[in-house]
Amino acid sequence: MEIVFEKVTKNYGPISVFKDLNLKIEPGDFVFITGPSGSGKSTLIKLILNQIKPNSGDILIDGKALNHLKNKNEIDKIRRKIGVIFQDYQLINDLTIEENIALILDIVNYPNAKRLSRIDEVIKMVKLQHRHFLFPSQLSGGELQRASLARALSIEPEVILADEPTGNLDPTNAWNLIKILQNINKKYKTTIIMTTHNMDFIESLDKKVIKLGKSEHENT
Amino acid sequence: MNMKILNLTLHHIRRSPFQSLVAFLTVFICFLILNSFIFVNRGLSSVLSYFETKPEITIFLKDGLDEATVQAVQKELAGYPDIKEIRYISKDKALSLYKEMNKDNPLLTEMVTASILPASFEVSAYNPKVLEVIAQSFSAKSQIVDEIIYQKDIIQSLLTWTQVIRTSSIVLISIFVLIAFLVIFTLIGMKITNRKDEIRISRLLGASKFYVKKPFILEGIIYGSIGSFFGFIISFLIIYNLRDSVNFFFQPITFIYALTIFEPLLLLAEIFAGIFIGLSASWLGARRYIKW
Repeated sequence: MEIVFEKVTKNYGPISVFKDLNLKIEPGDFVFITGPSGSGKSTLIKLILNQIKPNSGDILIDGKALNHLKNKNEIDKIRRKIGVIFQDYQLINDLTIEENIALILDIVNYPNAKRLSRIDEVIKMVKLQHRHFLFPSQLSGGELQRASLARALSIEPEVILADEPTGNLDPTNAWNLIKILQNINKKYKTTIIMTTHNMDFIESLDKKVIKLGKSEHENT
Repeated sequence: MNMKILNLTLHHIRRSPFQSLVAFLTVFICFLILNSFIFVNRGLSSVLSYFETKPEITIFLKDGLDEATVQAVQKELAGYPDIKEIRYISKDKALSLYKEMNKDNPLLTEMVTASILPASFEVSAYNPKVLEVIAQSFSAKSQIVDEIIYQKDIIQSLLTWTQVIRTSSIVLISIFVLIAFLVIFTLIGMKITNRKDEIRISRLLGASKFYVKKPFILEGIIYGSIGSFFGFIISFLIIYNLRDSVNFFFQPITFIYALTIFEPLLLLAEIFAGIFIGLSASWLGARRYIKW
């Protein structure tokens, strides 16, 4: 999935987050988005998800401008190809971790026969084997982050949007998560877009980096 | 694990059992009343048909008429065409009939003698129009006729009552249908508001609007179908438990009939009606409250 920002401007009232932002993310890229707090990292994720709309400019997903899509179902279809790890997890509190994953598999219409094995697979991948039957309120911050990762991975997405996914993890688990994302990127050519403050990851891994400034952006 | 919409819907119902119970009870009461009125209407129709298929007129004679006058009346009645039967009920016969009717209540028979009961003619005809002519003709003979009881009057009175009952039942049922609709509509709105985070997350994960609406619409259908089903079953059990006593009261008319194909068909129709109420209320509720 190719993601292109063409002269995207986003303001929150008088505060300008981006002005004429241009960027292009190719299928299979692993991209870090970094910048200080308030620089618009999460805003960029929300724009890709069409959760918020830009003030001007176009966001193109596989050549289709999100703000010009006439059929609203197209946005749902695009979202079904994206696995999201939200900064605040966004797990449904009424459902167990297993049910949260089952829900997204149902949303993307994942083959029925493979659902159980897929849930087991991703739960093992994030090492939540002994926690999958618990509700989000019964898990720690790190476990919630991994549960969120498991949900994003379960649908075998074309793109993974990870908003500060290591924020609540200890260094070992944070590196484990990065390794999982790296493997997926390498093995399945899944595009990974990850926002982070952690310069260790950026410096240790030779990946594309988008640096966002306070009110301006820099594309490297 | 396979997350089916039905499981999600049942999960929603379990999470707010009292709200769900209110929705169910409203539909239940609505159909309990509807079904009771249907059976009462059926019974009244039987009563009407009974009287309609038994055209009869009763002419009560004045006291003190001589034998010749009574015979003249009988002769005149016999002269009309399409007469099926003419029965003369003398004062003595009227007394014996009265005593038979009130044999369980001696107080009512103690003071009654043949002299206070009027003699009468009971006339039945093949053609009810003849009875109308007889009624008109004998109404004018006030010197020999005390009172005329004509089935047409009874039928008219029954028709009026049936119409009143039908109209009130339509009004009452419409009010209950509206209440059931509004209760489900509001309840679904409340549940959507309570679950807005869940809906928003599902939408972000790619769920279509219809996907997130489905459990709420199904919830309305469940209230409608189960409420109407139990409304029918409970009213049916009550009515059929009372069947013997009601039929005894109305004998020889059968007010409540034995089970026929009508009841299963009625049950199906009521379930469909319940589903329609639940579906339309929840569909509109979901449409109104799920905007994102």
